[in-house]
Amino acid sequence: MKLKRLTMKADVPTMAMGDIAFNLLIFFVILARAQDDSHLQWQPAAASDLKAISHSQVSVVIDNQNKLYFNGQLIGQAQLTKRIQETLGNAPAGERMVLLKVHKEATAMYYEPVIESISEAGGDLVHILEDKRP
Amino acid sequence: MLRSRRTNKLLVEPASVATGDIAFNLIVFFLVCASTQPDTGRRQDLPSSEQTKQNKQESKNPELALTRSRNIVSLNGEPVKIEELASRLGKALEGKRKPEERIVVLKSKTDVPYDHWIAVSTLVQDVGASITIQREEIQTVTIGN
Repeated sequence: MKLKRLTMKADVPTMAMGDIAFNLLIFFVILARAQDDSHLQWQPAAASDLKAISHSQVSVVIDNQNKLYFNGQLIGQAQLTKRIQETLGNAPAGERMVLLKVHKEATAMYYEPVIESISEAGGDLVHILEDKRP
Repeated sequence: MLRSRRTNKLLVEPASVATGDIAFNLIVFFLVCASTQPDTGRRQDLPSSEQTKQNKQESKNPELALTRSRNIVSLNGEPVKIEELASRLGKALEGKRKPEERIVVLKSKTDVPYDHWIAVSTLVQDVGASITIQREEIQTVTIGN
């Protein structure tokens, strides 16, 4: 007599697929922020009539120790123009925004050459500031 | 006639196994949203270097000199209180319509803090002028024997 083999159905559990997909999405969103400079220490200067600034390919930071960073990476002043030119490439006007984040107590000796470099590289300069409170 | 009053009253509860996961995902989602808040700032148009050279030749543009002092600036060599700067600049730019005529040359000492520089440059922009930077040159002079 032949015995029938008991077959068991083995399915991959699909219950958590949505959660996994969602977590992956968040993971890649965070990774995509390649120019993250949130770890840098600087305090913005205050001004009025500010506008919300959209995403930009280039951000330049002068931190509270007067160190210069290009998209979150430490860089020398002499290399700045070239790096901005390389990153912006042939981007059309309106898409050549360069965010400049300078610590409020940094002196002209540090920020003026940076402004000059941005201008030389053909970037549209945007100062990142804090809204002045009355 | 007898009515049957028996109804099916089974307690139906939503599955609560995934509640923890959902809460965690929501926390992560809002954290990511909060960390990507847009920055606020101001655009600044700097004239091209060719225009600046022309302006240097003409030397008719108002010159603003900044020092570490936050209350006083120098307009065309004359000390001006920061509160009066807007009106004085307005007068200096009177009758000038062309963009190349409405350029203010900004000269800063090397120790001028950024917040002071921003305060003055935004004031210039608010008057309807654009700025050009003239940097202090640092020269090293070697004196022979």
